[in-house]
Amino acid sequence: MPLNKDSLANTFFVAISLCLVCAFLVSAAAVGLKAIQDANALADRQVNILKVSGFEQSDIDEAGGIGKLFEDRFISQIIDLETGEVATEACQAAVEAAGKKVTNIKTEYDQLWCSKSKKPSVSDRLNKKTDIAGIKYREKYSQVFTLRSTDGKIEKYVFPVRGYGLWSMMQGYLALEPDLRTVAGLTFYAQGETPGLGGEIMNPKWKAKWVGKHLCGTDGNVALQVCKGDQTENVHGVDALSGATITSNGVTNLIEFWMGENGFGPYVMKQSGSTSSAPSAEEADIKKEATETAAHPATSGANHG
Amino acid sequence: MAKSTQDLIFDPVFKSNPIALQVLGICSALAVTTKLSTSFTMSLAVIVVTACSSAAIAAIRNRIPSSIRIIVQMTIIASLVIVVDQVLKAFAYSLSKELAVFVGLIITNCIVMGRAEGFAMKNSVGDSFFDGIGNGLGYGLILMVVGFFRELFGSGSLFGIQLMELKANGGWYEPNGLMLLSPSAFFIIGIFIWVLRSFMPEQVEAE
Repeated sequence: MPLNKDSLANTFFVAISLCLVCAFLVSAAAVGLKAIQDANALADRQVNILKVSGFEQSDIDEAGGIGKLFEDRFISQIIDLETGEVATEACQAAVEAAGKKVTNIKTEYDQLWCSKSKKPSVSDRLNKKTDIAGIKYREKYSQVFTLRSTDGKIEKYVFPVRGYGLWSMMQGYLALEPDLRTVAGLTFYAQGETPGLGGEIMNPKWKAKWVGKHLCGTDGNVALQVCKGDQTENVHGVDALSGATITSNGVTNLIEFWMGENGFGPYVMKQSGSTSSAPSAEEADIKKEATETAAHPATSGANHG
Repeated sequence: MAKSTQDLIFDPVFKSNPIALQVLGICSALAVTTKLSTSFTMSLAVIVVTACSSAAIAAIRNRIPSSIRIIVQMTIIASLVIVVDQVLKAFAYSLSKELAVFVGLIITNCIVMGRAEGFAMKNSVGDSFFDGIGNGLGYGLILMVVGFFRELFGSGSLFGIQLMELKANGGWYEPNGLMLLSPSAFFIIGIFIWVLRSFMPEQVEAE
């Protein structure tokens, strides 16, 4: 071959054409597969919401797919974490102000992106004292999912929660019963804790231990935590994972944070206030606790430090 | 020079295994081998990337200016890795979530670079392709062996199927926690090399 491959012209030619070919390949793969990837990610989130609310794989098959069952039974809302009010439009405006195009905020809202973007329109910087879950920036708006029975009654609330463990951000969902004090389930869909030790937060046996536990103590503050030893008798405790103290503490912290006043506290208060319009004996009790929580926002904040 | 296709594919599996003999690509061999399913996916991904990148580099080897040859190889490898990553995300979502960054880190896997620079720059497209498959297989073999022992003794299962009922779930087997941590992969690779060199003493480095 008479070509001088080390000439300047050839060097430029090879570099530029290689870049073009590779760029084309990479973009083709990324664009061509994006629809499937997005559908996968959405289905993955929905499956986790379904599972944490007590649905089994067989229920999903029966209903004819994840998306269908989810659409039928769940209502997703976007709330303002500070006020606890539904704030779909405000959220859409805020996300667009942060520089992301959205057509349907309800399905496209990405809380993690908001937190990571650190943009002031969609996230708040937390100070050391309040940031017990180690998330640094908390998004202003959050999704909340409610499971409805066929006649429209709320059967379960599902909240997205996350917090730092030993190595990784543990992302999951916490499901509460309609009384908003009893845990219906806890699950994680993304975590990078040590397999076999902290990674056991994914173990169904351990997750099952959370079901039926009570979130708040008698003072109205979040009391549910991970502790040592068998906790079957303790309604506010779950047996910690052995060999994974930091991961276990991370789980305690993320529950305390997201159920506290900086997380879904305002929303929970609002909900438990509005659902007990015709209070039964039990519901009256909840209402009393809710107002107690409302009366001590400052103390609960101090305790979180 | 003229090696048969068969030799190209099977030599790197035992005779000149990239991990066991050349001790390349150790990092990912530690990270993804706690389970067989992730080891298997990772092996496939590496086989695809080494084979295709070697073939692509061999195809343009006569045009690559020597001043920018490393960066040309890197670009080809990196693009292929991104494509593989995207495909995994689309068609094996849960596995790609478990493999996380390690698919992306195939770029830094010395085996891929080593074959590109050491073999594909001097050989034909076909030979380079099979050499890539062979080295990918050699890497995959170690990954599968390590993954087999780590999953079996660390979690009592193989490919996620429970073989030994764990004590935590009411069975009899107390899993070996060390197997789930990275150092165990070093031990297993070390034992593998020992066994291999006992059978093939010519692999032992001269004193």
